[in-house]
Amino acid sequence: MRKFLLAGLLLASTLSFGQGVWIHAKALLAQYLIADAWQQRLQGVEKARPWPWADTWPVARLEAPALGIRQYVLAGATGRTLAFGPGQVSGSAIPGYEGNSVISGHRDTHFRWLRGLKAGDELRLQRPDGRLRRYRVQGTAVVDEQDTRILRQDGRTVLHLVTCYPFDALVPGGPLRYVVTAAPVVGEQVF
Amino acid sequence: MNRWILHTLALAWAGGLGFSLLAMALLAVWPGMAAAEAVSPASVKQGSLFMREAEDGQVREAPLLDTRVEMEITGILARVRVNQEFHNITNRWQEGIYVFPLPEDAAVDHMRLWIGERFIEGEIRTREQARQEYEQARDAGRQASLVEQERPNMFTTSVANIPPGASVRVEIEYQQNVRYDAGLFSLRFPMVVGPRYIPGVPVQDSEKSVGGGMGWARNTDEVPDAARVTPPVDLGEGRPDNAVSLNIRLHAGLPLSFVDSPYHPVTVREVADGEYQVELEQGSTPANRDFVLNWQFAPGTDTSAAWFTETYQDYYYGLLMLVPPPVEKLPRSPAREVILVVDVSGSMEGDSIIQAKQALELALKRLGPDDRFNIIRFNHDAYSLYPASVPVTEANRTRALAWVRGLRADGGTEMRKAMALALDGSTHHGLLRQVVFLTDGDVGNETALFQVIEDKLGDSRLFTVGIGSAPNGYFMSRAAEHGRGSYTYIGDVAEVGEKMQRLFLQLESPALTDIHLDWGQKVEQWPQTVPDLYAGEPVLVAVRSEQPLDGVALSGNAGDQVWSQRLRTAAGEERPGLHVLWARRYIRYLMGQEMSGKVADWKQRIQAVALEHHLVSRFTSLVAVDKTPARPVEEMLESRPVPTALPKGWSANALFGRLPQTATPADFYLLLGILGLLTSLLLYRRRA
Repeated sequence: MRKFLLAGLLLASTLSFGQGVWIHAKALLAQYLIADAWQQRLQGVEKARPWPWADTWPVARLEAPALGIRQYVLAGATGRTLAFGPGQVSGSAIPGYEGNSVISGHRDTHFRWLRGLKAGDELRLQRPDGRLRRYRVQGTAVVDEQDTRILRQDGRTVLHLVTCYPFDALVPGGPLRYVVTAAPVVGEQVF
Repeated sequence: MNRWILHTLALAWAGGLGFSLLAMALLAVWPGMAAAEAVSPASVKQGSLFMREAEDGQVREAPLLDTRVEMEITGILARVRVNQEFHNITNRWQEGIYVFPLPEDAAVDHMRLWIGERFIEGEIRTREQARQEYEQARDAGRQASLVEQERPNMFTTSVANIPPGASVRVEIEYQQNVRYDAGLFSLRFPMVVGPRYIPGVPVQDSEKSVGGGMGWARNTDEVPDAARVTPPVDLGEGRPDNAVSLNIRLHAGLPLSFVDSPYHPVTVREVADGEYQVELEQGSTPANRDFVLNWQFAPGTDTSAAWFTETYQDYYYGLLMLVPPPVEKLPRSPAREVILVVDVSGSMEGDSIIQAKQALELALKRLGPDDRFNIIRFNHDAYSLYPASVPVTEANRTRALAWVRGLRADGGTEMRKAMALALDGSTHHGLLRQVVFLTDGDVGNETALFQVIEDKLGDSRLFTVGIGSAPNGYFMSRAAEHGRGSYTYIGDVAEVGEKMQRLFLQLESPALTDIHLDWGQKVEQWPQTVPDLYAGEPVLVAVRSEQPLDGVALSGNAGDQVWSQRLRTAAGEERPGLHVLWARRYIRYLMGQEMSGKVADWKQRIQAVALEHHLVSRFTSLVAVDKTPARPVEEMLESRPVPTALPKGWSANALFGRLPQTATPADFYLLLGILGLLTSLLLYRRRA
């Protein structure tokens, strides 16, 4: 009987471990597939799907040169989308264009690097037309999940990156969000 | 051996289940713990954002709000003062933020910040500047208030530095015109901000889409409604945080046959001849349902025309309402040709196609014997049921109904082909061609579509119907505006019947088409093109001219005949504040005129008009700042959104705006896995 118990525990632990690895692997591998889809997007294919049954598609490429980060932003910020990459919150402006763009990502996978950002850091967004737009981080803040003020479209062009807070909490579901606010570099042409 | 494997698997499954249960239990308990230990980092600026610090485990309370509404209604104009009193019931300094609805044609032109018995008049500023002034005052500890427009029918009031245990009052004033339909006058005061709007007025959905007329909204093909502008909702029981009281003075001038409110019990007193006082029977009401006041003049009263004027900064302003005679007194109404276009692309799969089918069946059943019709379905291709429109016979109708029932959602969306097939580019004498376009609005290339509409519209009228949870409202309403029709939004299967019924009823009774107003001089008139009039509707236009206006000639087509009327307008009643109504309509027009690449110009034009007329708009806000500091700077300020009540009849489980959930349980699983593996190892070694 002990033998069975032990074997059961072993298998369950392996499954649980595997599940954890799988989440990280999915987050990592998907970005490679999405990278291909982004190339298609740059060539003019609208809604280039990274895999045939995907219900999302890349809308921008996000870079943080100082941290060596290059990621693909997906359309929509639902749980399904966020497993594969940071997502553009539906209804916010398309990243790299006029208006308030809000991108959210998982604090323990794609957006873990947000904790390393500080005011003055540079961010870059590549748009579907291939152009790059540069942003500067203005500040960071911790807000409640019900504080939807950062979602407001008030005529300003601004980029908000959102992830859960605190970064090292073990389980998901907390009410706090970490928000990075960045503004386009003024007086610069989109190139 | 086999049994061993089987046993192991069964136990593993049970073990896995146990682990999952344990995991779930932990997950359920943990967030509370996580929240309790969350401490704000020093870098966070106090007061600039809502924060939930749990320093002493106290429940932070939002300011309570009392709203007092005073309306003065004269003829077809209403001047409304909304007093929002924020009560701080805590012993800390607070900033209150309240998102609230106003009628969408409300021209907000005044705001006062009341501190005790004195007030500070709000100044009009560009939105950025107003916010800057407000934030500076707030951070310096001075009392200040800010009124911003989120959408034409949704505003935000912010009040900084409400002292502990004290109140601050913000008074907002706006002008609007009364609605008239088939002899009935009505005025609506909205009270709820819901993800979808309370029915009752034709919704101007150009602003329902993301950003309305903003340039970047063009490429957006998903249009969620709730998240961006949904304030926190009060789900608690007990005292409503937001009570509204109403006091209405109705200067009718002539005796009324009735005054009533359909949703709230009211008391009506006739205080003088033709002057009425209306109040809520219960004094105040929770703000969970729109207030509507209806009134009607005694039979025989002539309410067929109203004209008001104002002179403001070298210009003459006028507001005209003109009711054409009833349909029976007009020449015969025109025969109709109804083209029903339905989207059957893959995105319509599910509820949307069911709604569309229901709507089509209703339309087919309502067609009259003199009408002609055709149906077009489209996905990446477009097909029509008949090569050309056919008369409504029983056989044709039955065939069409069967065809509709057989529709299936599949394939891509290419709206251009459908639009090109539906619009024929010609003029039809004595025939009113109505194209009803049903889609979930997954629009890719709007510019090309507008081009098709422009080129091929002819004298057809285009009515767009958006179905499903996220039609592109911006495209749909612009298309309807181009096509001189209207846009109907159906968000819920339950609404199909009611909304389509209303649309078809309207389509069936056209009274006057191709209406033209001749003022005898150059005027700026809004709307520029007077929409077709359906039974009971009035013409309502706002004009501005350089010379005094003395008359107007109205002409229109009633069927195949021309109907015209002249109106002398010399003796208009002077009414202050009329220019803001004109400006508000002008801004609405401008909002729909954004040009790609010239966003800055466009924004500046709107700002210029709004600043000239002291008007709140998407790009201008009213701000009031007190000169003397109230809060010692070393004391903290906490920000609190005022929760709004749920619309009556809504369930608390409805989805409201939250920031996305952005963490995975990956690390948790990894930890559990490692712990489990280690335990197994230990057990194994002990056994060995």
